[in-house]
Amino acid sequence: MKGSKYLPIIPVYIGYLVLFLIARGMPGMWQLMAMLVFYCAVGQAFNIFFGMTGYVNFGYVAFLALGVYGMALAIHYFHQFSWLGLGIVIIGLLLAMVMAGLLSLVVGAVALRLGGAYFAIATIGVNEGFRYLIEGAKIWGGSEGIIFSKQMTEAFGREMANRLSTLWADISVLLIAAVAALITLYFIKGKIGYALMALREDEGAAKVMGINVTKYKLIAFVTSALLAGLIGAMAWGLKLTYVFPPEVFDISYTVEAIVIVMLGGAGTLLGPVVGGLLYGLAKYWLTVILPGFQLLIFAPIIIVIVVAFPEGVVGVLKRRVKGTALEPFIL
Amino acid sequence: MALLRLEKVTKRFGGLVAVNEVDLHIEAGESIGIVGPNGSGKTTLYNVISGVYTPEEGRVFFEEQEITFLPPYRRAHLGLGRTFQISRPFGSATVRENVAVGALFGTLHGRIGVDEALKLADRYIELVGLSELKDKVAGSLTPVEKKLMEVARALAMRPKLLLMDEAMAGMHPKDIDRLVGLLKEIKEEEKIAMVAMVEHIMRAVVGFAERVVVMHFGRKLVDAPTAEALKDPKVVEVYLGCPLEEK
Repeated sequence: MKGSKYLPIIPVYIGYLVLFLIARGMPGMWQLMAMLVFYCAVGQAFNIFFGMTGYVNFGYVAFLALGVYGMALAIHYFHQFSWLGLGIVIIGLLLAMVMAGLLSLVVGAVALRLGGAYFAIATIGVNEGFRYLIEGAKIWGGSEGIIFSKQMTEAFGREMANRLSTLWADISVLLIAAVAALITLYFIKGKIGYALMALREDEGAAKVMGINVTKYKLIAFVTSALLAGLIGAMAWGLKLTYVFPPEVFDISYTVEAIVIVMLGGAGTLLGPVVGGLLYGLAKYWLTVILPGFQLLIFAPIIIVIVVAFPEGVVGVLKRRVKGTALEPFIL
Repeated sequence: MALLRLEKVTKRFGGLVAVNEVDLHIEAGESIGIVGPNGSGKTTLYNVISGVYTPEEGRVFFEEQEITFLPPYRRAHLGLGRTFQISRPFGSATVRENVAVGALFGTLHGRIGVDEALKLADRYIELVGLSELKDKVAGSLTPVEKKLMEVARALAMRPKLLLMDEAMAGMHPKDIDRLVGLLKEIKEEEKIAMVAMVEHIMRAVVGFAERVVVMHFGRKLVDAPTAEALKDPKVVEVYLGCPLEEK
């Protein structure tokens, strides 16, 4: 019975494997698959906080942004030490985690004591404030950002730099998504999951039941931020080889993350994968058939889905499979 | 040594004095009924004890350790469990998961894993007679079932003191008798001090409490053994309206 706890990871990993196989096997599909994996990964990371606690972090993209800066700074400052080799990428990932982690600790320790709506507003402020701080105080290249494609070539050689951007950046996002899924499962099944469930349902009652709600919210918040930092470092940093503040602090990515999690099923394990795929495909398709109109069409569709299925696709699925042989696999 | 001791506790909301200089002693293993009409300050008193409110004046001690400013979750770790006047289940979770939360984060917190907590939950669910419903979503229970589930959840915290807020309101007399019998049994077995707060179910008070505390306009009016307290002329006047025998 012990092993059956991990069964729900199977459909998630099958999903990721299929995406990988399509990307490798079908010519011209790599970029589309990379985009889908990116949305799944962001959904999975965002879900750990938003889905499991019910708190909306509108500043989520700031953690991705700091991840990109972590990678950019590592390559910018360490590229002349080419003997470090891929160690520079490791430094970039560590820096991404440290920066995203520190910001989340500071913001979380203060803002997580606020109630839901106030928390959401405070996090918008953090995101916008950070962006204007970088631009206004001309930190890290200010509003011009950092372009580091040349330094990457110097550090790793043309061939390797190219492979890092076009291949390994995408594959590592897939790996981060896989790790995020494992962490989600570990949280849901463990003590942390019980604490988060209780505080999501009734924070006052949870406190009286002995739950240190601030601690558990902070655990989820920081975990979610660390994963965002890693995704940013890889999917935007190493892949695009530049960082430009208005792009990486763009709040619409946070909104996309909310949509993905709600669509798939907040607080579920499989939800962000389903949500990421549906959202990514729909967005891609609308961009092709009606370029420029995708948001106009997408917004009402999302509203209808969220009103009609507040539990999301996987929430509905979970109820459907109750009592069948599939039940242990859907979470 | 008193299990719980309140020293001249006062809680105000603006100009309203909800609890006014209340002293209270509870010994380990006692069962006490707190009665008083609507608005007499009973629930506020519970909230001061469980840490939802901090009193303006006075101090609260648990096992002679001052807890006046301790956050609610720390009090739960010390051994304070409670149920709510209007049930507050974790609605989307199952009954079993709800009760397991109590086991995981109560006095056993840090020493119990999820599997053990679920086992303990099963025991207390059986005790309150909800075994058949344990895999149901808590939000779908009837009000009485929710109250019973809250009792199980609070008991799974393995508290030293259990505060029940109108746990028997809205119940059929037969169910009240059953719950009272059950609580007495549990009290004997686990040596938990229990405080039940009731607005007007005398059946529960007489059956359950060894001692009765009567609240009136935020003050403690009477604090005496049950039989004595219910005959007290002051109580008869403000609360019962007429002597109990005539009711």
